[in-house]
Amino acid sequence: MKIVVTVKLVPDPNAEKHIDPATKRLVRTGVETVLNPYDEYALEAALQLKERAGGDTTVTVFAMSPESLKEILRKALAMGADEAVLLSDAGLEGSDVWATSYAMAHALKKIGFDLLVVGGLTDDGSTGAVPGALAEQLGLPCITNARKADIADGKLHVERETDTGYQTVTAPLPALLTTALTFGEPRYASLKGIMGAKKKTISTLTLADLALDAPVGESGSKTELVAFAPPPVRGKGRIETPEDGAAGAKLIFDFLKEKKLV
Amino acid sequence: MKNVIVYVEHRHGATRKVTFELATQAHAIAEQLGGKAHAVVLGAGAARLAEALTAYPLDVVHVAEDADVDTYLLDPAVDYLEAAARAAGPSLILIPNTLSGRDVAGRLVARLGAGVAADVVDVKIEGGRVACVSPKMGGAEITTCVLKPADFGIATVRPNAFAAQPGGAGAAIETLAKPAGKSYAAVVDSDVEEGSGELALEEAPVVIAGGRGLGGAEPFDTLLKPLAEALGGAVGASRAAADAGWVPYSLQIGQTGKTVSPNLYIAIGISGAIQHKVGMRSSSTIVAVNKDGQAPIAEFSDLVVVGDAFKIVPELTKLIQAAKA
Repeated sequence: MKIVVTVKLVPDPNAEKHIDPATKRLVRTGVETVLNPYDEYALEAALQLKERAGGDTTVTVFAMSPESLKEILRKALAMGADEAVLLSDAGLEGSDVWATSYAMAHALKKIGFDLLVVGGLTDDGSTGAVPGALAEQLGLPCITNARKADIADGKLHVERETDTGYQTVTAPLPALLTTALTFGEPRYASLKGIMGAKKKTISTLTLADLALDAPVGESGSKTELVAFAPPPVRGKGRIETPEDGAAGAKLIFDFLKEKKLV
Repeated sequence: MKNVIVYVEHRHGATRKVTFELATQAHAIAEQLGGKAHAVVLGAGAARLAEALTAYPLDVVHVAEDADVDTYLLDPAVDYLEAAARAAGPSLILIPNTLSGRDVAGRLVARLGAGVAADVVDVKIEGGRVACVSPKMGGAEITTCVLKPADFGIATVRPNAFAAQPGGAGAAIETLAKPAGKSYAAVVDSDVEEGSGELALEEAPVVIAGGRGLGGAEPFDTLLKPLAEALGGAVGASRAAADAGWVPYSLQIGQTGKTVSPNLYIAIGISGAIQHKVGMRSSSTIVAVNKDGQAPIAEFSDLVVVGDAFKIVPELTKLIQAAKA
């Protein structure tokens, strides 16, 4: 069985992020680029499924990203993925959900897979809509927000979180699965894993390899970012140190009354 | 894009406030585009909910009370929506920005070759184009994204972004025909509801959130819940509290949890790290109770009361209860 995990390379989630006025893209300079944290959960799920399946099951990591960030994929290889494939092309820059899912779908068809595992969200500019779009582009069953997953009798059995609780779902393979954070903490790379990752292959695809029929990148996108600005500055408010609990409560109560919130 | 179509999320006919917010907004947008406002209600309980929706300013409510919608994971729902959209003609489709809403939106992007604007808090029609306003980068940038001219566009809309206002002459209810020749792969074997009857965190007008400073699970019940009840709000938590197992992850607010924008947010024992800030900074009014007046949360709170939450909060609850009585 071949499992492919899609990952995104994003600026450090703990950094404040901004858009460059000239390019209208995320500012990446001065901010470390990392594996999208949600995608590490997807990778963890894939590695667990591989361990349980045994045999000749492999995990391939796929990313759509500038070639210059390629080495960041070593972390995924160090965690236990067998190989990585990068789709890298200047023509992809500025792709929206439609263009991203369209290009990814063609690359993933070329790579081939039995199960596609995708992170639930991306940490930057997230729409949460790529997994659904990707499943449709590939004609796959789409099972999102998994907190448990198993493969038995050639079928995917999933316990997934919903807005109101949880569901159990069964679907035939090939399928697309996305993971919730409750799937389990991603593993750390072992020293052996880190050493081994150096010898693993990261291959690169470009748009020329995909022979797409429709344009992608900014011109092929269905949306256009026209304006952006920081939110109105929230002035630093009052800081009060009351004598006791009752005085503190009164302070808040009076403030809420003044704001007509009680 | 001329018409507006609202995808109605519900469970056995019970829906959330966001449905009525979208129904109200659909009419306002359709009027500017010179089209009609539609809603699509699918699955068990759809007929009953459609009746309730006629009190809102919609032109047509499309209904399919089809058991397949609940038996299979979203596949039939997406088929019905696609069919309804193609029948209505060029349209902007409004979908609640929920877990399930994001799945539906993504799938329609591919089906309809449409653009999607996510987590939308305002929609403007500028020169016939649909411009969607969304906070991005964890609220550090407020972006305006135009859906390029096309037959279909999609917006996932943040709950609490628009007012819900009944009105209109009463929508026509029409039954949707079942899309022919479809087979479905992903089967829902069981569907369990948890925490039913509780106010959804994303929709609560008031959120009382607790963090590491509370020191355990118990204060969420004994301290925060009574205050939330007195104010007609919901209880939330920081990641530290969820990671410690004091509350379920469904209550976590922040980067890896939920995003809320209530009228009033009271942060109790929460330091206000960026992880938390991005999930709540668009709240209208923010009050913090913290032992440390230098905590990061002081930088973006309207009022910070430095002191012991265990002494302040019960007194505050009493004051509010007395004022209501």
